[in-house]
Amino acid sequence: MTDQSATMAVVKAYILEEFLPGEDPALLTPTTPMVSTGILDSLAMLKLVAFLEREFDIPIKAHEADEEHLNTLEAICELVASKRSLVR
Amino acid sequence: MDFAWSDEQMQMREAVKSFAGDELNADLRARDKRGEFSRECWNKCARFGIHGLPVPADYGGMGADPLTTVGVLESLGYACKDNGLVFSINAHMWTVEAPLLEFGSEQQKRKYLPDLCSGALIGGNAMSEPGSGSDAYSLRTTAERRGDRYVLNGSKTFVSNGNVADVVVVYATLDRSAGANGICGFLVERKYPGFQVGRPLEKMGLRTSPMAELFFDDCEVPVENRLGREGGGQSLFTHSMNWERACILSNAVGAMQRLLDMSIRYARERKQFGQSIGKFQLVSSKIVDMKMRVDQAQAALYRTAWLQTKGRNVYLEAALAKLTISENWVRCAEDAIQIHGGYGYMVESEVERELRDALGSRIYSGTSEIQRVLVASLLGL
Repeated sequence: MTDQSATMAVVKAYILEEFLPGEDPALLTPTTPMVSTGILDSLAMLKLVAFLEREFDIPIKAHEADEEHLNTLEAICELVASKRSLVR
Repeated sequence: MDFAWSDEQMQMREAVKSFAGDELNADLRARDKRGEFSRECWNKCARFGIHGLPVPADYGGMGADPLTTVGVLESLGYACKDNGLVFSINAHMWTVEAPLLEFGSEQQKRKYLPDLCSGALIGGNAMSEPGSGSDAYSLRTTAERRGDRYVLNGSKTFVSNGNVADVVVVYATLDRSAGANGICGFLVERKYPGFQVGRPLEKMGLRTSPMAELFFDDCEVPVENRLGREGGGQSLFTHSMNWERACILSNAVGAMQRLLDMSIRYARERKQFGQSIGKFQLVSSKIVDMKMRVDQAQAALYRTAWLQTKGRNVYLEAALAKLTISENWVRCAEDAIQIHGGYGYMVESEVERELRDALGSRIYSGTSEIQRVLVASLLGL
């Protein structure tokens, strides 16, 4: 499993458990919009950022905690990867 | 948490205590009664360096880290009895300077931060509306892009510094159907056409901090004054609130220590039934409770600032700090009045004002109920 797909699996599992309990996992694809559709509201975004920082030991800037960076699993994984490359 | 105050930090804290005690308390009872903001004291604080504490030297500030900043503000709150003045400075720092630093363009930072640090400009923050408070993102003020300008229409209420502010961070929606994702922040100057200051709002406490309604009637804002990207208002506001919750009550921790010291002095001096009232356990236990609350508040404040110094988000810690300090401040002020008895209830004792000032802290920057909702949610509930 690549870094990217491992990250995707961890983030997807968290989002399904926290914000989409009981939902069919197949419906949450890498490009499913989550912020613009209200799956992630303002409070959920805070929880997600706190989770990403804790899980991947990365700092996320305030301006990155927005729709552009958190709307899809793909975008979230890109954000995590970019932060990890800075840490390394 | 692993830190100790350095000699330099201790010197700054002592210096601000001495400055505030000497310079900021004159005529306070009368100013509180009149609901009068002191521009003179504002300027003195700015000259001392308070306004620019967290701002890098490149932009005219002192470049202090979060822990140093809250330590200095705590000392300011201990010696300066004008809680309203310090509240105005806090609003200016955490809702204007802090978002400018994180979201502002280089041009915006160069244009506004030096004058905000020097006190020449007063900053304000306009989010709340008559119909949106705790439900902050349900705002109705609109922004529409027209060429090189945005045109704002709507109204704001409970704007701290509203009637004296030169520049206000105004939140408006570009697309109501997008909800929170349609919101955007703007740096709006008082002189812009269509910007109107409404009536001053008279408050129960913090009366020396001005507050007003603001109206925007086809208010024209240059495109270069958009703060952050279009639709990025949610993360801007979250950032602003996070700093505010973490730091706005630094001075309250100092004020609580002042109330504790006053109450100990009074309980030792005041004699009833042939002995100091502090010898009665019903009085001394109140003082012990006050000490416990000061220590809790201080620990919450320092822990949050220390984590911020490490560059981490502090959503949970900031909400807890705001909740802990505001609730403890109110309880300390109540206890101080009770210990001072009839004298504490009199305006001239200057104890009752502390309770009036403290009560607002349960409401602004998110009510205690909202902080509990945030904390519960961040705990996974």
